[in-house]
Amino acid sequence: MTRLNIFTRGLVKENAVFVLMIGLCPALATSSTVRDGFGMGLAATFVLVFSNLIISILRKNIPNEVRIPIFILVISTFVTIIDYTMQAFQPDLYRALGVFVPLIVVNCMILGRAEAYASKSSVIDSILDGLGTGLGFTLALTVMGTIREILGNGTFLGMTVFGESFKNSPVIFMIMSPGAFLVIGILKALINKYVKKELR
Amino acid sequence: MTGARQMVVTLFIVAVTCAVILSFVYAFTEPRIAETQAQLTLSGLEEVISAHKYVEVIPDTLWQAMDSLDQEIGIVFRVFPQGYGGPIPITVGLNNEGTVTGIRIASAAEGLSETPGLGAKITEPAFTGQFKEKCAAEVALEQDGGTIQAITAATISSRAVSEGVKKGIEKYAEYLESTFDKNSIFPGANNFVEIITDTLWYALMNSDTIGIVFFGVAQGYLDCIKFMVGYSRDERITGVAILYSQETEGIGEVIRDEEFLGKFKDGMPEAISGATISTRALIDGVTSGIHKYGEYAK
Repeated sequence: MTRLNIFTRGLVKENAVFVLMIGLCPALATSSTVRDGFGMGLAATFVLVFSNLIISILRKNIPNEVRIPIFILVISTFVTIIDYTMQAFQPDLYRALGVFVPLIVVNCMILGRAEAYASKSSVIDSILDGLGTGLGFTLALTVMGTIREILGNGTFLGMTVFGESFKNSPVIFMIMSPGAFLVIGILKALINKYVKKELR
Repeated sequence: MTGARQMVVTLFIVAVTCAVILSFVYAFTEPRIAETQAQLTLSGLEEVISAHKYVEVIPDTLWQAMDSLDQEIGIVFRVFPQGYGGPIPITVGLNNEGTVTGIRIASAAEGLSETPGLGAKITEPAFTGQFKEKCAAEVALEQDGGTIQAITAATISSRAVSEGVKKGIEKYAEYLESTFDKNSIFPGANNFVEIITDTLWYALMNSDTIGIVFFGVAQGYLDCIKFMVGYSRDERITGVAILYSQETEGIGEVIRDEEFLGKFKDGMPEAISGATISTRALIDGVTSGIHKYGEYAK
């Protein structure tokens, strides 16, 4: 498998949210606006790339029996770094993402990549894999956030689209929880029908 | 190394390294986090009452708003009434007269959990603006006999806000600086300087001390009596005023009569028969206050 493949695989073909169906809880909960979805995606990507990097470096020194506690330690360290940094420099985003930043620790997508890929692969491959998977996650959340924000709030990144009259009475349920399930279901169906077939 | 020892050692090294890295990150971001937090709080306070500075009285709950001369111009407090989806964080500004100067309701990004598009409309100026220049008695929904128009289809959230604001005003009004006019008991002075917080003031005329004004509490017949006394440098009482009393209607309440209070200016009055306890309490209160603070007048 070429290096480019390792990177692009996570974007669409093995997209964490739409294809592998992992990391769904934050995908549903933080995709109500474009900014929240994008921010959550980038935060998860940062953690994913660095935890993959460190775990790949340490892979030959980690005793098999304690590998999971070590993965969790490394991941939670990066999550805490993100948590503090965001709180200091992006307080609005921090409050919007709320409890989901600390919960990146238990996002199965990150532990999954550490266990299934980084602990067995070279450093560069692991970074590419983390980057690809993370950006795929970001892409999924941003697409969901775009659809939900435009329909549910009449805005895109806070800017009004379709005029004031739509903004005053949008399809409110799209930014509430049912909208998240609806959007993820429709997107998954479309990907199954059009994208997956080509990739086979 | 045996397997077990290697496990422990590796885990230990990784844990210690993580802890060290985190302590550096913490030391680097902590001041910045505190600063952003303080800035957010400040801009929230400025939105409801503009002042030179804010003095925190109860952490994260109550502030005194000060003007550039350090005089209190009002208070800001926060309440969290239960709304439809959870507690609603409201910041309220009050001026010294007890009138609302403005309210601010946190947005969804700041922890408001009312329904977007319905209950969340309580954050909009069209709703919050209605509270401006209202006193506690007026703060209630129209259907509850007040002056606040509820948001259509969001009565629960609207009512939670108006009741929360009202309860907050009643709870924190005691922190407002008394707007009592000290000149009414000490004519002739053109400035009063606080010596003991909320208790004792110098009465000044053109920067000369011409006497004192003090606050006192006495135990009356039914409840305590709170009063203010003006006392001049030549040891005369310039005036007495009652700030609070709940004595028997028509009997003990005689202590509020101008006629009775006026007698203090010509030396101590006699207790009035039939209202001995109330009048005696006030006379004794004024006497002991003069004993206590008389020195300051000289």
